[in-house]
Amino acid sequence: QMWQVGKRQASRAFSLYANIDILRPYFDVEPVQVRARLLESMIPVKMINFPQKIAGELYGPLMLVFTLVAILLHGMKTSDTIIREGTLMGTAIGTCFGYWLGVSSFMYFLAYLCNAQITMVQMLSLLGYGLFGHCITLFVTYNIHFHSLFYIFWLVVGGLSTLRMVAVLVSRTVGHTQRLILCGTLAALHMLFLLYLHFAYHKVVEGILDTLEGPNMPPFQRVARDIPVVSNAILNTTAKAIALTL
Amino acid sequence: MSNFEQFHIDFYQSNYTIEDQEEGCNSYGSDKNLCESRKSQTEKQAAGGAFVPSDMLPSPQSYSGRILQPAYSPDSPPQLGYVDGFDEEPPLLEELGINFEHIWQKTLTVLNPMKPADGSIMNETDLTGPMVFCLALGATLLMAGKVHFGYVYGMSAIGCLAMHALLNLMSVSGVSHGCVASVLGYCLLPMVILSSSAVIFSLQGIPGTVLALFIIGWCSLSASKIFTSALAMEGQQLLIAYPCALLYGLFALLTVF
Repeated sequence: QMWQVGKRQASRAFSLYANIDILRPYFDVEPVQVRARLLESMIPVKMINFPQKIAGELYGPLMLVFTLVAILLHGMKTSDTIIREGTLMGTAIGTCFGYWLGVSSFMYFLAYLCNAQITMVQMLSLLGYGLFGHCITLFVTYNIHFHSLFYIFWLVVGGLSTLRMVAVLVSRTVGHTQRLILCGTLAALHMLFLLYLHFAYHKVVEGILDTLEGPNMPPFQRVARDIPVVSNAILNTTAKAIALTL
Repeated sequence: MSNFEQFHIDFYQSNYTIEDQEEGCNSYGSDKNLCESRKSQTEKQAAGGAFVPSDMLPSPQSYSGRILQPAYSPDSPPQLGYVDGFDEEPPLLEELGINFEHIWQKTLTVLNPMKPADGSIMNETDLTGPMVFCLALGATLLMAGKVHFGYVYGMSAIGCLAMHALLNLMSVSGVSHGCVASVLGYCLLPMVILSSSAVIFSLQGIPGTVLALFIIGWCSLSASKIFTSALAMEGQQLLIAYPCALLYGLFALLTVF
């Protein structure tokens, strides 16, 4: 008897607070639509004079965030990253979801301050689709370990998706200062995140290169020989900066 | 101590009374008048519940027949042999809800992802097959030197919750947790094949990666095929297959590394 009363109360509380049906319309998509939006996210729009349409859809961004988590995990496993406080999975999920939700909220707040016409779901969607470029870059560069290749990908692919997001935001904001603030912040955060993702999980690699032997690790041996002097210096300073912040 | 045995004997005895009421009490070997009084009290007993031995006094004849003569029934203490009551019980597997034919059907459906699936086979929530496959995965991982039972359990639990949420959002009719868990567990079978091949050769090279990708594709194709046929979401098979592929990719990561 008590069990039934407790069950009824719990289900009432559950249906009140965990009503995920409000998210239902955001998941109503067809595969063709998702594919089209993925490809569009890499193409910067030219027309910034009238507001561009943003699809308020959450399926694509959610899947892209999970893909990023999977790629990060794969990269961490292949480079034998050791996380002392916490788990690999927790770190990967925390990083990716933290970026998606945190930066979206921050940008939404800035957009509110700068009077841009964008809703929270649209911001989540825009940033989520912007992670498609990150996924491609990281997928390629975690498997092929040339640093110069990474920089090219960072500029080209990251740049394209950033330009798309910036163009959409610019089309929805009036006023030069506001546009500058909003787009500058977004571009900086987006590009820096990609840089962080690449380097944070590789800093173990340089340390173990000298001591590492064995048939399973041939790709890493190429890294030390191919780094030119300049990028080596950048790499060292970046790794030091990250080690200081952590 | 004898009171304790009495308690247990009463417990078992009253349980069998409810189920085998119509099969005849003569196999119990207890008093005949007790059987008749038991028959007349069928409704009262069914309502009262079989698991309440209300008192432990061996004086059941004045009572409503709920507590029976314990000493003469040969099948109430299980260690004394089930010989006489064995024919009247439902088979153990049927009682537990394990139907080998259905399990075999579902396994064949998973193993052949190209064959169109019958949507009705997933109506019953059957967790026996999935349990066996999860244990098999853990056992094959153990043979490869990795003790990852906790990871398998945790990832399957969280994966089931996440897939349940996603499928409820994407489908018109909802799904239950049991159905999702059942389908995801059945489609884990190719992953068992992958981890058993990890015992023989290391999966960390190119052939291992190719094999892992093939197995992930196989698992997610089967899972999405069963989900779309059970939930009538034909155009969205790829959209369901992708989260399944991510989940099985995590299992493959566990197996390969």
